[in-house]
Amino acid sequence: MDNAIRVLIVDDEDDFRETIVKRLNARKLQAEGANSGIKALEVLKQKEFDVMVLDVKMPEMDGIETLRHVKKMSPEVEVIMLTGHASVEFGLKGMQLGAFDYIMKPAPINELLDTIGQAYNKKRGTA
Amino acid sequence: MRVWDMRLLQDDLPAEKRRSEHLYDYADSEENRRRVNQHFDKLQRGLIIGLIIGFLLPNALLAAYFHYQFTHTLRSSAILNLQTVADNQKNSLDLYLRERIGNLYNLLLSPGFALAPTKAAMNDYLRILTNFHDGFIDVGLINPKGVQIGYAGASPELLGKDYSDTPWLQQLLKEDKHHIVSDSYLGSRQNAEFTMAVRHTFAGKVYVLRATLDPDKLYMLLRSTVHGGSVESALVNANGQYQVVDPKTGNATDRGPFVPPLTQSVAIHEQDIDETSTLIAYTWLKEAPWALLVTQPLSVAQSGMHQARLILTVSLISISLLFCIIIFFTIRKLTNDARRMADKGRQLQEMLAHASKLASIGELAAGVAHEINNPLAIIMATSGVIRDMFNPAFDLDNSTEALYKELTVIDNAATRAKGITKKLQEMGKTRMPQTEPCEINTQVETVVNRLKKVEFKGKAIEVELALSPDLPPILAECERLRQVFNNILVNAADAIQDKGVITITTGIQDGMVAITIADTGRGIPQKNLERIFHPFFTTKGGSLGTGLGLSIAASIVKHLGGVIKVNSVVGKGSTFTILLPTNFYCPLH
Repeated sequence: MDNAIRVLIVDDEDDFRETIVKRLNARKLQAEGANSGIKALEVLKQKEFDVMVLDVKMPEMDGIETLRHVKKMSPEVEVIMLTGHASVEFGLKGMQLGAFDYIMKPAPINELLDTIGQAYNKKRGTA
Repeated sequence: MRVWDMRLLQDDLPAEKRRSEHLYDYADSEENRRRVNQHFDKLQRGLIIGLIIGFLLPNALLAAYFHYQFTHTLRSSAILNLQTVADNQKNSLDLYLRERIGNLYNLLLSPGFALAPTKAAMNDYLRILTNFHDGFIDVGLINPKGVQIGYAGASPELLGKDYSDTPWLQQLLKEDKHHIVSDSYLGSRQNAEFTMAVRHTFAGKVYVLRATLDPDKLYMLLRSTVHGGSVESALVNANGQYQVVDPKTGNATDRGPFVPPLTQSVAIHEQDIDETSTLIAYTWLKEAPWALLVTQPLSVAQSGMHQARLILTVSLISISLLFCIIIFFTIRKLTNDARRMADKGRQLQEMLAHASKLASIGELAAGVAHEINNPLAIIMATSGVIRDMFNPAFDLDNSTEALYKELTVIDNAATRAKGITKKLQEMGKTRMPQTEPCEINTQVETVVNRLKKVEFKGKAIEVELALSPDLPPILAECERLRQVFNNILVNAADAIQDKGVITITTGIQDGMVAITIADTGRGIPQKNLERIFHPFFTTKGGSLGTGLGLSIAASIVKHLGGVIKVNSVVGKGSTFTILLPTNFYCPLH
């Protein structure tokens, strides 16, 4: 489990976040959840993560803003934006700001896993 | 620009910002059109008045200047004319008088003139004189003692009369003159006449030959030399008494208009006679102590000007009118063009507003998709978890309880999605209004009672009602009204952390029914205030709010022709005021 991919899921939807965390953990990933951008930044200060899955639409601090902070604080973390169907531009915007990729909700678990894997590989390659 | 009416926030926006924001809204568009029209009307009026004044004023000044100059010139020429007439008449009169004096002299000095004439000789002399001129009335010879010793004429009683006291004889003798002309007087037959006398010394004795003349002859002379009817001539003596005058103007014994000062040449005097301003040219005769007055009313002297003035005025007015009409039509055409341009601009703006409305619909659709996708994502993820449970590789708890738990998650997400679509339907539904008169207070109470049982539970929320008893009912779907109150009240309750007060006041404000819902909650920050009526705008987060409550409330109120105003102070609370126009008039009221 030492080299398990450490993933932080950031989404304000409790049911969604918890389910995804559960499923990723079942697939031998080391996943954790944060219910807001602020919470995510707090967690990021204390622990290291390889990949971050970040919902775009959240109250208070939205995904784009959170991304800016993350890229400032821990630029090594690869970020995957989680966007609604109609907010593709946020995903693109996120990629401009340094996100690895974006995934449209609702996404099948395999797509999410693949993207997380790619992001992790990229991170390892650069590290 | 948003479809959602920013005017709902008008209490929090500065007036000019509210004005400048154009919304695609029928009423607003009408208002805008009216304002633009007013602006153009004002512009048109200003331009027309300005141009007309700018054109008319210099014209009027120029006309006034020419009028003044013309008056002056006419007056000068009238004076000149009058002076010439006076000069001519003076010369004629002097000539006439000299001729008559000459007649007398010739008679007195004629050889064989008898110093003690008989009556027949005197009659002969009179005949000789009347042969020369028919103005002679009588003739008499006065001896050195002043007694008339010979007489011929109509008053035989004058024979033997002593003239030594008469002023003219005294003057003739004293001043060593050779001849004299007296002032006119009423003679023995009550006719005006004047005396002319010449003297000669015969062997150291002074004899005087006197004759009476008819002043009418002088008058005829004056009349014959006058050009133009309006000029009148008269003679006055040193006292100002008429000597010769037009019978229409005065009698021989009347006083003339003024006593002219002694001058050599012809002078001009201006005076009001019978309240008409009159020019008088005057001069003194050489042969008689009389002044010639030639008068002409100023109005007659300037009569030429009246016509000129008339022509000037008429042409000025007609030219001005013509120009006014041209200016009026030109400016009207210009402003109409500008108006059309503005209208086109406004149409463009409306099209833009319409386009932005379409864009907003796109935005709405995007919002809907996102909102639906969230529960969908939950459903997909949860069904995935259930699938994982039955996959031995993942070694998950697949007990019935765990399964039920996951299914509940799916149910909740599906319910949420259904809630969203239902609310959207409500918002977009083309309403078949089943309107009825709704008592506002009753609706408020119903909503409050319902909320107290559910949403307000768990918090110490105190609801204070200050309901005005005599509100007119509002013709609407009562359920919709309740929905408005419900949505705002739910937000108010959510804004209150643990305990607080919600005050509901109803009353009349600016002729509209006003329902004010004030809470002591956390308040709305300024940046959110502009967005609270946008669909899907929410600060509640996660599955707690759809962001549709206030936008539904706003669209219902707007549908009724009302507005929602918001005032909010962060940390103190928010006040929502719903203003509804009274649209129901009970026949009993």
